[in-house]
Amino acid sequence: MTKKLYHKVGRRPWEYKLKPDGSLARNRLRLPLTSRHWLKWRDEYNPKTLKRERRLDDKKPLWWSIGLLAFVLTVPFLSNSLISVAAIFCIYASINVLWTLIIGTAGIFSLATLAVVGVSGYLAAASNVYLGLPWPFMLLVGPLVGFLAGSILAAPSTRLDGLYYALLTMGVAEICRIYVSQLRSLTQTSGAITQVDSFIPEDWFLQRPGLLLGFAGAFSLLLGSLLLWRLINSERLGLLLRTAKTGREDEAFAEAVGIDFRRARLMVFVLSSSALGLVGAFYAMYFKSISPTIFSLDQLLLLFAMMVIGGLGRAEGATVGAAIVTIIDKGLIELGPLRIILVAVIMLVVTIFAREGLTGARDQFRDFRKRKSGERRAQRTEKGGEAMPEEAIEVQDKQELFYRRFNKRLRERLKSLITPALIAEHKADPLGHHSDNLARVLNYFRRGEMADKYVIMRLKDGEERYRIMAVSGVRGLSPRVVDDREYDDLNDAYHAVFILRVNDLMES
Amino acid sequence: MDLGLIVYALNLASIYALMALGISILWSSVGMINMAHGATFAASGYAAWIVTGALKPIIIAAFGKTTLATIIIASTLIGSAILAGALCGIIIYLLAFLPIHDKPNYPVRSLIITLALNIGAVQALLWYFGPRNRGLPKIFGFGRWEIWETKIRYDQAGVIIGASVVIIATLAWLRFSRRGLEVRAMMQNYEGAAYCGISRQSTALPVLMLTGALAGMAAALLSQTIFVSPTAGVIPLLKGLAIALLGGLGSVGGAVVGAILIGFIEAIVGAIPFLGQRYVYFAGFSFIILVLIFRPRGIGGLLDATRE
Amino acid sequence: MPDILRINQLSAGYGPLRVLHEIDFTVSEGERIGLVGLNGHGKTTLFRAITHMTGWQQGSIKLNGEEIGGTRSLGAGRRTAALVKKGIGVAPQGDAIFPGLSVRKHLECGAHTKSAWRNRRQRIEEVFEVFPPLRNLQHSLVGKLSGGERRMVSVGRMLMSDARLYLIDEPALGLAPKVSKRVMDALWALPVNGAMIIAEQNVSLLSGRADRILGMHAGRMRGDIGHVDLN
Repeated sequence: MTKKLYHKVGRRPWEYKLKPDGSLARNRLRLPLTSRHWLKWRDEYNPKTLKRERRLDDKKPLWWSIGLLAFVLTVPFLSNSLISVAAIFCIYASINVLWTLIIGTAGIFSLATLAVVGVSGYLAAASNVYLGLPWPFMLLVGPLVGFLAGSILAAPSTRLDGLYYALLTMGVAEICRIYVSQLRSLTQTSGAITQVDSFIPEDWFLQRPGLLLGFAGAFSLLLGSLLLWRLINSERLGLLLRTAKTGREDEAFAEAVGIDFRRARLMVFVLSSSALGLVGAFYAMYFKSISPTIFSLDQLLLLFAMMVIGGLGRAEGATVGAAIVTIIDKGLIELGPLRIILVAVIMLVVTIFAREGLTGARDQFRDFRKRKSGERRAQRTEKGGEAMPEEAIEVQDKQELFYRRFNKRLRERLKSLITPALIAEHKADPLGHHSDNLARVLNYFRRGEMADKYVIMRLKDGEERYRIMAVSGVRGLSPRVVDDREYDDLNDAYHAVFILRVNDLMES
Repeated sequence: MDLGLIVYALNLASIYALMALGISILWSSVGMINMAHGATFAASGYAAWIVTGALKPIIIAAFGKTTLATIIIASTLIGSAILAGALCGIIIYLLAFLPIHDKPNYPVRSLIITLALNIGAVQALLWYFGPRNRGLPKIFGFGRWEIWETKIRYDQAGVIIGASVVIIATLAWLRFSRRGLEVRAMMQNYEGAAYCGISRQSTALPVLMLTGALAGMAAALLSQTIFVSPTAGVIPLLKGLAIALLGGLGSVGGAVVGAILIGFIEAIVGAIPFLGQRYVYFAGFSFIILVLIFRPRGIGGLLDATRE
Repeated sequence: MPDILRINQLSAGYGPLRVLHEIDFTVSEGERIGLVGLNGHGKTTLFRAITHMTGWQQGSIKLNGEEIGGTRSLGAGRRTAALVKKGIGVAPQGDAIFPGLSVRKHLECGAHTKSAWRNRRQRIEEVFEVFPPLRNLQHSLVGKLSGGERRMVSVGRMLMSDARLYLIDEPALGLAPKVSKRVMDALWALPVNGAMIIAEQNVSLLSGRADRILGMHAGRMRGDIGHVDLN
């Protein structure tokens, strides 16, 4: 007898559980001015340990808060160049988060993000430099221009498919770049607008206090875009769009249910474009200038690489990817073009191996492990055999499990006993003196439960005509006919019943 | 409109057709959008520059400055560019096709991988060769023909004839050879093709090598008018992508027709006095967008339905 | 002389669903075997397991003495083309035709071995002898043909290569009785120098003509069910 291996099935990832004292009331932190809670605590009673347990359902707010807090507390103590790198990271990350809204939530594969940012930045800067608007108004001009640009760009998105639309937006960016660099009024600065007023005072610019102020502005920009992400993605618009995510079937279903996902997509697009306009205005104010390089394809591809490395479709992916690529791009500047090659290599490796980027790696691994264990379980499953562990957990009466195991082993043993010689022995003498093996088999058959048990029915009293039936096992329900052969000899009938029962045994 | 303008338009159209054809065929048979086409273009140009730079003195020394020498130089230039293009095709096969072709979300992921390859390759060329432009030897000479009072430069004629030969050869291969039949079968029913002994891997490799060679040929031909530089492939890639979309992804006829249309539009717009060269790009682009708005599947988007 | 096909303890399924449970059977040379069973009981999965198109499989499959099975849990369809080249001809359920290619091109596609490709014209003529209606439809696109004609194209394509083992899945599915009779007659009339397995739900089409009829139920081989007498 081989030793049975007991496999672990349906492994739940280990969780840290708090053990609260039953007397204390729950203290849940509220976000100010709202009725929303910061963390989702869940209390449960564990019947095995007879204690209450508390665990965190969703750990994401915790990681975000810790990460952002650590970031904002360490940066002011770094060197000047690192502070500017951190500020650039914040700007790129906010652009990426808003871009993720467009690509992930709305599902519109638009490459016009930098075009929108650039155009709003240019118009805001122009309004300040040429029209003399004071700088706070730039923060109004930016979103307005973004709104308009978004509305214009949104129109073809319903009509054109994914790649065609991407090409359209790419072309729009190129056109903006060529147009701006060829404007006659800007030819001395080769297309850039300089000396833009900003929230950073003139004498603080490029000094440490100015850099810190700039970083503070950039960080609040990042917080704002994360807030917008949360407001759109987890609220009504995002939920509506999730029904129409992948492909035609989902879209048809959403439409049939009455969800106007096209309008939702357009709204998300226009909202994020307005936010991108704000980022553009901020960009002009932070650098106190704006140049045509913002429209360049290389910059766009770099931002796209950030999103891919972090994970397309997630806000944490956008931020993590932005962090990694910014560190490589701005931190390792001595390497020259090699650092872009490094970014490209990382992008390649991440796309080949991690389907959802770095932030999705854990879920991918868990899916893989679940699939593997499911396959292994399927290879071990047999019908009517021993209960699998996950089934055993559900069964209330545990004696049932032992009974099934015993029955399974018994049937295996009996199957090995059934030979043509045994069958011939029974045929020769159904009711006589039997060998040990045949006696065991017959005992098992006779012990079977009444439901569907084969019986011999005498058709008419006094006549030697027999038929095989199967009783139903239910009171009041008549037996069913098995087949319509009639037997003249009772021994033949006994043997036929034996053969039927042997067949059933071999099949189980 | 004079013949010179037509010749100029056909010149542009030939090169665009080479790029667009590669992208279109690749999409319809392998299901991959090749963003690394531009890198293939640039890399082939550099390969041709290195090979001809090394071999030219040898050939001149052996044959003198005769037409035979020019022909040999021309064939080494075109040959090395095509070979380099095919080699890039093999690299793309190994990195962007083999690892993920039967995994989920393959089209988007292959696009991203080829994009990464493009970025990396352009930067690698920039780092290794430097940003200066390099010139390639002129293979068609500087002469002109006179036909019907217009001057057709040798190199313009060479480009048009060379590109047409290659395109016709490609289409003939697709239509008449066994491999071409396999490629077309694989496009239409993957399971049926598998039962006919056609595997995805065996069709993707020749197609990738072919499209790489097409890009190499385009680089060799275009090098007669512009210099070789790391970013030389960006504009041909964008134009090729746009024209492939205009013609409808998967429609080879559409790609050729689209290339001719765009070539003519660019030539005409460039010739109109008050618009000039600055608006060439803009005009071509607006035309493409206009067509796509009215016919979202492009000019010949019939085969695209089969792909879905 | 090794058997054409020897299957030992084959199990296969898709993901967590197990369809085949420890199948054993053997096919000798020259045999025509009918495989009978209800829908969903594993006939098609058995064919797909032989060509490695199921989600996972386990167990030994020997073709001409060469082991082509083994344990596999990924890569459905990856090795199919290579296995088909070892001498398996498949006419799958639903025909798997190429809508944009003509009948002649289909037949040419089927000739995937070197010798078959060299003699393809002659073989195409032979297929036209077996299925005369196809001769007139040589250059029509198969996407525009009717169900019966497509079935003929699919079976004809299978016959073009030098296969030792023919796997034909539900040749009478969806066809009018007259058409299905013609297809079945053509199949039975073929000279078979290897072996042929025909999966069908309708036993009457197989009885009397198959050397053996095997029954499948719930993913298990029930053994020879003999010849069924029709009343």
